[in-house]
Amino acid sequence: MKKVLTPLFNGYLVSNLVGLLIIGLTKYLTAKTYDFLGGTYTLAEFLIVPFLMGIIAVWFWRHEPLPGSRLVSRAWYNSFIAIALSFGFLREGVICLVILSPLLWSFMLAGCYAGRYMFKRDNQTLNVSVVALLAIFFFVDVMSEHHYENMVADEMVVNAPVSTVWKNVVAYKRNTSPDKYWLFKIGMPSPVESTAEGYYLGAKRKCIFSNGYVFDEKITTYEENKNLIFDITNQPRDPEIMGHIDILRGQFLLKDNGNGTTTVTGNSWYRLYVFPAWYYGIWAKSITRNVHIRVMEHIKEISEAR
Amino acid sequence: MFLFVIKYLGFLKFIPGLGVVFDAWLKIWEVINGRKTLDYIDNIEAEVEKWTGITTSIHKYGGLQFNLGRRELGHIHSNGLLDMLLSRKIKQQLMEEDGRVQHHHSFKNSGWISFYIKDEADMDFAISLLRMAYEHHKK
Repeated sequence: MKKVLTPLFNGYLVSNLVGLLIIGLTKYLTAKTYDFLGGTYTLAEFLIVPFLMGIIAVWFWRHEPLPGSRLVSRAWYNSFIAIALSFGFLREGVICLVILSPLLWSFMLAGCYAGRYMFKRDNQTLNVSVVALLAIFFFVDVMSEHHYENMVADEMVVNAPVSTVWKNVVAYKRNTSPDKYWLFKIGMPSPVESTAEGYYLGAKRKCIFSNGYVFDEKITTYEENKNLIFDITNQPRDPEIMGHIDILRGQFLLKDNGNGTTTVTGNSWYRLYVFPAWYYGIWAKSITRNVHIRVMEHIKEISEAR
Repeated sequence: MFLFVIKYLGFLKFIPGLGVVFDAWLKIWEVINGRKTLDYIDNIEAEVEKWTGITTSIHKYGGLQFNLGRRELGHIHSNGLLDMLLSRKIKQQLMEEDGRVQHHHSFKNSGWISFYIKDEADMDFAISLLRMAYEHHKK
């Protein structure tokens, strides 16, 4: 048993157990107590927890030489273990964890380095102060309300008259072309088809994704050949990224260029449930943009087909 | 990239812990690019820590800082950039003798110098520069 419970093993084990416990307890307690916090992962959970995990791991490794390159690789292994545990116990999706991994690795490594210098100094006041500061920041952030909404807009020129494009904007047949965006290629669902029960205001619309996900939508603005707005009325809850972002509304604006071509502008509004927004916002923007591009390229292709 | 961050995002250094995180990104970047910068920094740390009165700490903006008592001798960012404070006279002399020694990336008109550690020879030179600062400040 002693051979298994080495400081190296304990560093990985205890840091991950503490991390898992903090996240699990936070989710459990906040969901029970504060409705507005349920389902949201905060900045503190993604930054403070890995930082603390790094400090804890290094506490177990403090009696051995810890060159920089070794700390970088150990922080990577520890991040990988944390990701595997999140997949198993927190039921997070693979793509969501791929997106999380750079953040986890860098904050884990920063924690490892901070721990290395803390334990080298062996100053208990300093150690307690650092942990207390992290705890305060964690609780303040977790107990705060988080709200982030954004809009992404993309534009494309289609070499077809506006009436033809409009027909394909409201509903389009199945897109069988291969995915180009790397996240779609590794398994993130991409939009493949859109159906509408009619071409009128209030009509129900469905956006179908490659894995069978269906977004239920309702047309809220219908200005033929000009403006289509649809609200998302129901969307799948899934451990993958779609559980952490809500698409709120979509819009297609069409502009007749007067030369037989049409400029299509696609707008999407979304709300994030994962923070920090400065990090996840980049991903959300990129994913939404690539959803737009895939849909608009398909609309362009079928509208331009003779 | 490093200079861009320092120049345009430098104001973020006042957020506690952000410097350490930025330095962690530099470390990851160096390792991903297969550079031995972190090994050189470890070797410099091991050597300089042998000198009487030297302590190391995390630099306030990230990186490894060398101290002689309460005075900072210099610090190394994890991309291998050594920043050191000398007198203006010594700085001038060093810059004339060796082209690798440059003005500090932020404080040009001061005794601060910057020096990039890219290989073993640079590592040895960095140690000799730190020794020079050590002797200078020990007086």
